Amino acid sequence: MFSIVLKDVGILSAIALVLSVIMVIAQRWLSNYGECKIDINGKREVTVTGGNSLLSSLTEKQIFLPSACGGRGSCGACKCKVVSGGGPLLPTEKPFLSKEELLAGDIRLSCQVKVKSDVKIELPASIFNIRKYHATISEIVDYTYDIKGLTFSFDEGETVDFLAGQYVQLNTEPYEKVKERVSRAYSISSKPEINNALQLIIRYVPEGICTTWVHRHLKVGDKVTLTGPYGDFYLRDTDADIIFVAGGSGKAPIKSILEHLMEVGTNRKMTYFFGARTPKDLYLTEEFKAMEQIFPDFKYEPVLSAATPEDNWQGKTGFVMPYFPQAIRDPKNTEAYLCGSPGMINAVTKALMENGIPKDKIYYDSFG
Amino acid sequence: MKETTKEQRIRARMQPGAITLTGFIGKDKRSLGSIINADEQELNKLGRNAEEIAARMQYFSDASFNTFDGSITLDENYLVETEITRGRIPCPYADGGQHRKAITKLTNLKKNKSVSWTALNIHLIKEHHFFEGKGSTFRVEPSVLVEVLFD
Amino acid sequence: MDISAFILFWAAIFTSNILLTNFLGMCSYLSVSKEIESSFGLGISVMFVLTITTGLNWLVYNFLLVPFGIVYLQFIVFIIVIAAFVQLLELILERYAPALYYTLGIFLPLITVNCAIFGVSLFMVIRNYNFIQSIAFGAGSGIGWMLAILMLAAIRRKLKEKLVPAGLQGVGISLIVTGIMALAFVGFSGIVQVQ
Repeated sequence: MFSIVLKDVGILSAIALVLSVIMVIAQRWLSNYGECKIDINGKREVTVTGGNSLLSSLTEKQIFLPSACGGRGSCGACKCKVVSGGGPLLPTEKPFLSKEELLAGDIRLSCQVKVKSDVKIELPASIFNIRKYHATISEIVDYTYDIKGLTFSFDEGETVDFLAGQYVQLNTEPYEKVKERVSRAYSISSKPEINNALQLIIRYVPEGICTTWVHRHLKVGDKVTLTGPYGDFYLRDTDADIIFVAGGSGKAPIKSILEHLMEVGTNRKMTYFFGARTPKDLYLTEEFKAMEQIFPDFKYEPVLSAATPEDNWQGKTGFVMPYFPQAIRDPKNTEAYLCGSPGMINAVTKALMENGIPKDKIYYDSFG
Repeated sequence: MKETTKEQRIRARMQPGAITLTGFIGKDKRSLGSIINADEQELNKLGRNAEEIAARMQYFSDASFNTFDGSITLDENYLVETEITRGRIPCPYADGGQHRKAITKLTNLKKNKSVSWTALNIHLIKEHHFFEGKGSTFRVEPSVLVEVLFD
Repeated sequence: MDISAFILFWAAIFTSNILLTNFLGMCSYLSVSKEIESSFGLGISVMFVLTITTGLNWLVYNFLLVPFGIVYLQFIVFIIVIAAFVQLLELILERYAPALYYTLGIFLPLITVNCAIFGVSLFMVIRNYNFIQSIAFGAGSGIGWMLAILMLAAIRRKLKEKLVPAGLQGVGISLIVTGIMALAFVGFSGIVQVQ
């Protein structure tokens, strides 16, 4: 009796074993695409193991395309030009491509394209400066009831090279019910002269996966990763007068620019308008006011649009636009740097142009 | 009612931690189809449809969106305030849209009542007739919407 | 069983349709029949998997289970074979036909647990089919299943514009429709007897 049971179990196990072996071999053989070469801009070539997505293959080679969803095909940020070897356009990509991109036919979502053969792609040159940084949180400051400033110190030997005004992506770790990692963009608020650390100013967003993590879970000493720098909002090296306009957490890139200017020294005439609703939305006021003494010609102007009499607000009120004429000396020789919501940027751009500032000298970083 | 695989995938994206922190379903145990049907029936009773509600919401959001500080008073008795944060958010139906992270608060001054919604709410109501599950952070009750949105 | 494979093939499609006379594979039949495109995709996958797994299971049954006297383990073995084959198919499709993989790929895991596939393997054993008959029966049943789901999907598309009582919407009306379709198919059953 016992031997019969043993025999039957043996045969059943043998069948299962044979099938498993077939599966393992098939997996090895079918999912093995060998070494594939990725040709970038015809200038650089990297060799990766085939079978993974283009996005993760590039990440492995320290080339970081922007991505907010971590490669799940839900954000559409990782678009790139695939000249050849990308295979057919997949249904998962179509919804993220515009009509022009569909027509061009070579713009793909790099997280959906699998590297199965040699691939030829084109990337903007600025991508190569983007790296992944491992950092430890060394300081957390509360600026207002919902805005925190976090300083990230890089691991030994890692340094960052960015232009004042650019942004980085902070990568979250899974916490509570959030099982996936996400990446969110934040402007760097520290000066580029400090290259072994950087500071981000992060405002709490109700329901925000990343900001909740930052505000409720991160503490000094925690280890995180950042990728960057990204963005074409940075200080132009000219002698023109400057108008800065910021709202909400839009203070970060301007802080970086001003601290950078403090470091290199400047004689440019600068005015910084900070638009907020009530006094409790103001932060870093003393720091910026103090800069008026350091720069030869700088003014910091917080402007409140919804201050109540109880607030006892002595400064400027309303919107910032009516105060532009007194800050502009020669409109043709004035640059403007704006950071805030799309509505604010539209309104301010319109007002600046009415004051004669050329459109191509208005640089902005829009939230929208 | 059993859900199709498509609905199951949509539901998976509506879970807490997938797209938003607390998700789109809340404590609602019903299937997506039942949630949508129930809200549609309620709208029928109120004599409105999802498209006209979404259009009205869009009208208010757009108006406040284009102002300097995101607040505006419209038609004398509507106060609209919109708060925008950086980034975009995809729709759980994965129809390719990327929506602003914006919360609009509308106060009907005459009735002294207010309601808040997100840019994604407008899309969900317009395209999918989905007002979110009961207990979800951004669920908008059709009855409250109708009361505040219209005179 | 002495019946020509050719007749068996047609019989499996019409007179003893696996879905409409045996009511096997109802789960995915009801849930995927909302859209014609996905019904077609699932139908093709079922047809393909059904044909091959019936053949495979015939070989396993006659060359392994019978000689070793472990016929009583057929349930487990058949399911393992089906599951392994579906996995393998997924890998092959991903490698050689990515476009097809993205249309059919999502349905493949559904098929592993489709009882029509398992049912056909069991019928083949009970009715003592030979290898050729099994393949014909498998292919016929697959086409029959696809036919049934396509018909339901087509009817459901029409139903969308009709007023259906609230309590019957969705699965309720689908089951009634399936019942009526089954009645019609029973009408064919006198032509050939395969049971």
